[in-house]
Amino acid sequence: MLRFIASRFARAALTIAMVVTFAFIVLRLSGDPAQIIMGADAPPEAVDAFRTAWGLDEPLWVQYFSYFWAILQGDLGRSMRDGRDAIVLVTERIPATLALTLPALAIKICLGIPAGIYAALHRNSLADRIVMIIAVAGFTVPSFVLGLLLVLVFAVQLGWLPSGGQESWRHGILPVITLGLGGAAVLARFTRSAMLEVLGQPYIRTASAKGAPWRAVVTGHALPNAAIPTVTIIGFMVGTLIAGAVVVESVFSWPGVGRLLVVAVANRDLAVVQCILLLVAITMVCANLIVDLLYGLLDPRLRAAPRKAA
Amino acid sequence: MPEAPLVVAATTAPPKRRRAAPPALVIFGMVWLVLMLAIAILADVIAPYAYTALDLRNRLSPPIFLGGSWIHPLGTDELGRDVLSRLIYSIRTSLLIAFGATIIGAAVGTSLGFLAAHFRGFVEQAVLALVDFSASLPFLILALAVLAFFGNSLVLLVCLLGLHAWERYARIARGLALSAGAQGYAAAVRGLGASPWRIYGRHVLPNIASTLIVSMTLAFPEVILLESGLSFLGLGVQPPETSLGSMVGYGREYLTRAPWILLAPASTIVLTTLSVSLIGDWLRDGLDPTLR
Repeated sequence: MLRFIASRFARAALTIAMVVTFAFIVLRLSGDPAQIIMGADAPPEAVDAFRTAWGLDEPLWVQYFSYFWAILQGDLGRSMRDGRDAIVLVTERIPATLALTLPALAIKICLGIPAGIYAALHRNSLADRIVMIIAVAGFTVPSFVLGLLLVLVFAVQLGWLPSGGQESWRHGILPVITLGLGGAAVLARFTRSAMLEVLGQPYIRTASAKGAPWRAVVTGHALPNAAIPTVTIIGFMVGTLIAGAVVVESVFSWPGVGRLLVVAVANRDLAVVQCILLLVAITMVCANLIVDLLYGLLDPRLRAAPRKAA
Repeated sequence: MPEAPLVVAATTAPPKRRRAAPPALVIFGMVWLVLMLAIAILADVIAPYAYTALDLRNRLSPPIFLGGSWIHPLGTDELGRDVLSRLIYSIRTSLLIAFGATIIGAAVGTSLGFLAAHFRGFVEQAVLALVDFSASLPFLILALAVLAFFGNSLVLLVCLLGLHAWERYARIARGLALSAGAQGYAAAVRGLGASPWRIYGRHVLPNIASTLIVSMTLAFPEVILLESGLSFLGLGVQPPETSLGSMVGYGREYLTRAPWILLAPASTIVLTTLSVSLIGDWLRDGLDPTLR
């Protein structure tokens, strides 16, 4: 078990190192990094000072390690728009984003998983058909279309809710519903297919045949096994908590990390973009790590599996 | 590098449904898709106006079913540009990008998968590490970062979207090439002295083509959604070019006064992705047991 945990940690660290390397390579490919990070109209002596400070006159591999070192110390450059630290700029937006993504995650889990389980247990019934139609619609209707339709109905036509901004909790209702419904549909589809897969397994037939009540077969055998793929997708959703609302925040003018990212990309504010990129990668990797460790709890076979050859 | 999560991910990656799409819906999907392709190919012939042509006398005129005239069947925007013509050209742009990107993704992913299966060892580990890397970042964030670093152009956009889902093809191609190698026909051709190019190009590829085509059908709607999302944010297709997503983004400003600007491209996006998804699910359920 200890080896299992250690290998997962090593893997997570390696992935983060790869993301940092990716940012380093892309930054070098896109032009003079000092000029880009400092901004086009920075005074030449400031750029030179930056170059010396970041060791950009050193050989490439020295630069690479000093870049790595700076990032480890939380030094991610400054925004070229107002000269503030990129990391501060990004972290102060996180609460606003979480205010949308956390309730949305709750909606996804509370709606999606029961709907998927119910649909699988009543396969081909009317309820199953309805759940599946909504689930397919949830995948094919992009969030910006759903969001704008909700605005059209509830803000423009009915006038019940505000269409954008962040003044009160009522402003959050439409964005949370937009995020939640789309994710719930995806989760319902996944849960349903995971359940169907499990219900077709021989051990379910065996459990039924030995006379266990159906309720016990479902809760004791089907649900724990179907939980494994479902946990993967929930892990992915947890990983996107910080930057999973890029489009929805833009639709509803919500001042979160996603909105910041879009504005930063449009202005080519590279320090901020790089900072968000790393933050998202770290969140994602941590979520994957937790999922991997959960696998170990949910499925004892996987603890032994890593030694197996490909 | 441990293998277990890859195996789990490979069996759960494509959203699965069994026998869910009744043929009537699939036929609707095919008809709709053929219609979209015809519109894309014939855009220059059937569009009543150029997509940049202004008609300043008929600004924000509503579509027919809201009391408009036949001069502009789907209405106009606030510069008097014909919504139908813009829609037709947007369909062409969006489909072109989605097709280009899907083909690039399949080609890159399959090649890397074959390389991993052929050379094993270090090459395989490197490919698998890249697969891990792309799984560690939501694609939209990665795409936004690349657009920020390199600026925007149509070629870059297509190549960038081409990277979407490459890891899925790589995984499938590697897995299937490994099992093909164990089946003996590849070994037989190798024994006859065929080059690796010949083995993979002429023997392995045709044998796994159906699986790859199904994956492409499943990835295609995702590429359309990504492109329209980026364009909606104003970071994808740039004006004066127009795509379905940028039309929605533009129409958003006139949501209260002229919702038709937005509703026409939005429903086109939904119907197109729905059609391809239905066809993809049906193909997978019918033709290819390995993706279940």
